[in-house]
Amino acid sequence: MSQRSERRGIHVDQSELLCKKGCGYYGNAAWQGLCSKCWREEYQKARQRQIQEDWALAEKLQREEEAAYVSSHSSSQTQPPQSQSQQSLATFSKFEEKKTNEKTRKVTTVKKFFSPSSRTAPKKVPPEKESEKEEKLQGRRESHGENLLRDLKGIFTQPWEMASPTEESHEGKTPSPSITRQSSIETDRVSRDFVEFLKTLQKLGRDIHKQSRGFIESMGNKNDLSAEELSECVQDFYQGMSDRLMNHFKGSSEKVDRVMDQVEKYIMTRLYKSVFCPETSDDEKKDLATQHRIRALHWVTIQMLCVPVDEEIPEVSDSVVKAITDIIEMDSKRVPRDKLACITSCSKHIFNAIRITKNEPASADDFLPTLIYIVLKANPPRLQSNIQYITRFCNPSRLMTGEDGYYFTNLCCAVAFIEKLDAQSLNLSPEDFEHYMSGQASPRQQDDPAAWPQSGSRVNPALSQIHHNLKLLSNLEKRQQEVTEGAQNLQTELSEWQDSVAREVQEILERYPLEIKPRASAIDAENVENDRLPPPLQPQVFAG
Amino acid sequence: MAAAGGKTYSFKVVLLGEGCVGKTSLVLRYCENKFNDKHITTLQASFLTKKLNITGKRVNLAIWDTAGQERFHALGPIYYRDSNGALLVYDVTDEDSFQKVKNWVKELRKMLGNEICLCIVGNKIDLEKDRHVSVEEAEGYAESVGAKHYHTSAKLNKGIEELFLDLCKRTLFLNAVYTVSLSVFHNTTGFMINQNCVFQSATWHCSFTHKQLIMFSVVL
Repeated sequence: MSQRSERRGIHVDQSELLCKKGCGYYGNAAWQGLCSKCWREEYQKARQRQIQEDWALAEKLQREEEAAYVSSHSSSQTQPPQSQSQQSLATFSKFEEKKTNEKTRKVTTVKKFFSPSSRTAPKKVPPEKESEKEEKLQGRRESHGENLLRDLKGIFTQPWEMASPTEESHEGKTPSPSITRQSSIETDRVSRDFVEFLKTLQKLGRDIHKQSRGFIESMGNKNDLSAEELSECVQDFYQGMSDRLMNHFKGSSEKVDRVMDQVEKYIMTRLYKSVFCPETSDDEKKDLATQHRIRALHWVTIQMLCVPVDEEIPEVSDSVVKAITDIIEMDSKRVPRDKLACITSCSKHIFNAIRITKNEPASADDFLPTLIYIVLKANPPRLQSNIQYITRFCNPSRLMTGEDGYYFTNLCCAVAFIEKLDAQSLNLSPEDFEHYMSGQASPRQQDDPAAWPQSGSRVNPALSQIHHNLKLLSNLEKRQQEVTEGAQNLQTELSEWQDSVAREVQEILERYPLEIKPRASAIDAENVENDRLPPPLQPQVFAG
Repeated sequence: MAAAGGKTYSFKVVLLGEGCVGKTSLVLRYCENKFNDKHITTLQASFLTKKLNITGKRVNLAIWDTAGQERFHALGPIYYRDSNGALLVYDVTDEDSFQKVKNWVKELRKMLGNEICLCIVGNKIDLEKDRHVSVEEAEGYAESVGAKHYHTSAKLNKGIEELFLDLCKRTLFLNAVYTVSLSVFHNTTGFMINQNCVFQSATWHCSFTHKQLIMFSVVL
């Protein structure tokens, strides 16, 4: 192990990074050292041939190879995984913005190191004729990793989830996709739920499970396909599956829908990482463009869009906040249907806000501007990628006619509107629009200062809130001043009173000076019956 | 079709027209039988569904309201994509709104051809005395573009039930014609011409009964 990791960094030089076909572009180890273009050509050829392979042959090969593996185990271990090092290097330098993607890939790379398949990774891959053989070879070796993993999994999962023999042969044939290894807690949970659900369908359930797994495996090979081709594969699968189910349930579309929802959930949870915002598409670029666009439009107000929502009403602003939260949350969901559910929930909150404001059911005339406003306020992450993902991989029956589809269409409209938005669509003059866009002016600064409180409340709820608070504060300050003034008054009054009292006392004292007459004589002189009194008590001294 | 008895048809119908012509009132009246009700329990009137049964065929009608403001006009294609029918609503007291309908018709015919069932709806006939769009003009125009014209009043609940029923029948018919013509003319060089021919007749002869038309299309 340590030996291998030491060699990793040293063995790469510039020439090895270039496409093996010598077309001058950089190659990628993930594409057998070819550049994307050459690899696609090669791969298409190889795949055509491979499709013709027999299942039985694959099974036979696997048995043979199991024996071969034991003998070749020690020798192959020492071979340096040249291609692996290239891959990790390539991924490190690639696309700074795809941080999340990169992270998962790095994890995969590490995982690959620990899986037996990496030990047998070939040093150099012959580009043309041998690619097919190589594919097979790799596939067979890969299957050991798979088997190992499955054995491990089998300890924790129900026996039913374990693959059937035919499936094993299938896996043995195709190079295993990395997605199956990236089983996070969520995918495990979804798989378990799926299996639980399918148990209720008995034989049909087993059939569905087999097909779904097979499909996921086969999708693992198609990383180089364009997003549209991937979409086609998934849609074909949906179509085939729902046709079969339609036959089985004898046309009960309700049951078919129920099963299809589960199938979609299972498949898309598994495929999410590889097909969401794929590198072959420019979704990411569009995401960034939209994000910048929305940021540049931060100055757009409720009035410009004629949004029939009054955020002064606490209930309404509550709904607005909820709607924003929902639309942002969409990005965190994996299954297209769950993403749609987020949009629907967001729309419901919007309707609620409109109904409270206008006191009548919301029409599309009200709804669309409000949705646009919400999208502008929320600036949902990876909006374009999410929309594309839903369009490509959602079960079409849901997207075309249902309520979810309607809200999704509105979201698409909102995004299209934001992209094309100009001065006219906001009822502004082109000059004003330019000024606002360039940040030279803000719609709020043009308001007459005198009219500030009124227009402030119309311009922006946060601003009006601030204004309101300021007014409260200034009121408070005034009152506080009054209180301190009152207190000071009271203090001076008090001290004045004290002084005046003191003065008065002094005056009286001065006016009536105190004369103290000798007390004893006065009493004795007036006391006539003095003699009858008993003699006064005299203190007596006791000895001891 | 084999599953004609058990199959449920799902049709998408878009509501197009200028703001304030009564699109929302129309659909609320149809689906909820309400007009300017103060105690409306409906949260929204932009997406409504209605289940119908037309000569034994089950139809799920999904009615999509669209934003009528001029600034959203460019978003139309996103809304009417894949729709089976379009209700083009105008206000009989508003000449402008009728002009808007003409624009919509042109656009729809250009983008979707004859696959879509067009209904031109003159709403607010309760305001007959303020009428600015003559009946002859409107009906003449509708016929010239292969659409059918209807008069409705959401306020008085006039003509609405008939409008939607007729729309469904015509959509069902178009659907049938499309399927039949596909099977009949598939893989022939004259496919496009024949298809067009059938569609033209389909949209122009909607006064026929449903049964007659089905037979007619089968004969073709």
